[in-house]
Amino acid sequence: MSEPETGATGAGLRRALGLRTVVSTSTGLAFAALEYLAAAGLAGDSAWIAVVTAGILALLAWGCFSELNGMFPTAAAIRLYMKRSMDDRIALTITLSYLMTIVLVIAADAFIVGTAIAHVLGQPTWAAVPIIAVLLGLAVTSNLRGVKVAGGVQDVATYAVLALTTVVAVTALIRSHRALRFPLTPLHGHHPGDLLEAVALGVFLFSAFEWVTTNAEEVRRPRDIHRGMLIALAVLVVVCSLITVAMSHVLDHRQLGSAYPQLALGRAAFGQGGLWLMAAVTAVTAVNTFIGGFITASRFIYATAREGSLPPVLARLNDRAVPWVPVVALGVLSLVVSLVVEATGSWEVLVAVGASLEAMIYAVAAFCVIRLRSRLPDQARPFRLAAPRLLGVTGIVVFGVLAATASVSVANRFNPVPLVVIALAGTGSALYVLVALPRVQAKAEAVRAARGRRRPPRAPASGPGEPGPEAVPSGP
Amino acid sequence: MAERDEIFEAYADWRQRCNENERLRRMLRGWDRIVHLVAIDTGDRFTVEIHDQTLAELTDGAEVTADLIVTATSEDFADLFWGDLNPSEKYMSGEITLAGAQGDVMRLDAMSMVAFLDR
Repeated sequence: MSEPETGATGAGLRRALGLRTVVSTSTGLAFAALEYLAAAGLAGDSAWIAVVTAGILALLAWGCFSELNGMFPTAAAIRLYMKRSMDDRIALTITLSYLMTIVLVIAADAFIVGTAIAHVLGQPTWAAVPIIAVLLGLAVTSNLRGVKVAGGVQDVATYAVLALTTVVAVTALIRSHRALRFPLTPLHGHHPGDLLEAVALGVFLFSAFEWVTTNAEEVRRPRDIHRGMLIALAVLVVVCSLITVAMSHVLDHRQLGSAYPQLALGRAAFGQGGLWLMAAVTAVTAVNTFIGGFITASRFIYATAREGSLPPVLARLNDRAVPWVPVVALGVLSLVVSLVVEATGSWEVLVAVGASLEAMIYAVAAFCVIRLRSRLPDQARPFRLAAPRLLGVTGIVVFGVLAATASVSVANRFNPVPLVVIALAGTGSALYVLVALPRVQAKAEAVRAARGRRRPPRAPASGPGEPGPEAVPSGP
Repeated sequence: MAERDEIFEAYADWRQRCNENERLRRMLRGWDRIVHLVAIDTGDRFTVEIHDQTLAELTDGAEVTADLIVTATSEDFADLFWGDLNPSEKYMSGEITLAGAQGDVMRLDAMSMVAFLDR
């Protein structure tokens, strides 16, 4: 895959992000607290093979997103490349459904941190409910107040989480004093379908790494985005492989099935201190997710509302220029989802839904690459996916199969609930796009027509034979 | 294609609206920024400075390092400052491009929206 140099988007800016922050943002967006639960869901000492396979597949997604981001280096890229690749109604339906992944991840992280804190404090399970509510309340409040983590702090937090997780995983493995069992035979005691599901789950470990493309307008060098994503994928492969193997090897079935396997891993590595350490690490990952998730999703919803594709109420701003309606709505929705998960213990369904949606969007990205090669052949592509037809079709097929697999399997068993959840979200989005959106757009058009134009008409051409500027029609 | 004078006239109107808008002034608290405007069709460059919740006059050129760079056609700049154009629509269609932090982009869009809420 070629990596030519291009003109810088953010060159000459006073504040521009460098490669280090791009890597930490990409890794931090992917490495949510949910990562530990997803890793624990991959059973066996050979589970790292599923993670590495998923990482190799994620390279396909990386190539696609790198090409698309190079063509549209903007936070609105997903809207731009999708509506140029397909009917805008389909593009908007997919985008709105995809936004659900962010809600799921925020909800899952609130649930995980809530239950982990309740466990560490020796409180009963129900104590997680008020903790979850307080956590999400704090996240919403800090977002409404426009609190933003400085790039340097975010770098330190993300790299500390990754380093501490690695140290805990390696120490737990060493202290187990047992050799790995069948580390190179992924099918030992498993059905091939289990491996496919494990790879689908493995893809979820990398989910959201591509959201760093929304920072394309603020990077010092455009190439930092695709380079940063590549480094982030490599880091995630190593860290996730380690925690997957360490958890599978060290923890028992009950610990692996709990909502806080990372705490048990911490205890296995460093005793009670390790448990507290991993509780702190989990809290930091959740804060990263809350801040990144809320900002990314609420700003995207705001821009889509300003564009006229969502109701204008979603573009309301508070005095700190924060789109408060999307922030509050995301907080409430995340709270409801996390409480449902808390009440039903169905976090594995959440993981399956997220894995399926993520694989789906990777397949869509591969489709967009192929489609835009024929629709916009002359548009500049600072990054070009090699063999786009072969790799693009491979991406569509592979990620399509993984999305389908993840949507009907939970914890190695057939379970159509994730598919039902996705179908409901997709149907809701489609109904909005087909039924409500035309009304929203008609209303906006009527308001615009009634307002007319303020710009004064231009003066007529200054003399015969001289071409004057065209007249600008003026409204009432 | 809008001429330089048209953009200056449009900006002067927008500046007055922004500076007289109490809500917008609250939104700009602590947001001192330098914005470059680049007209792709004419090659003109302008600088907008926001300091102490107040927009300064538009100046020619783009000498100082910016916090935010907005690239659009001269027509779009004129329409935007007159309040006849929704910059988000143009941004989401790729016709207006930006370079800068997301938070700064949000504030700038907020200015274009809040300044014309009375219309």
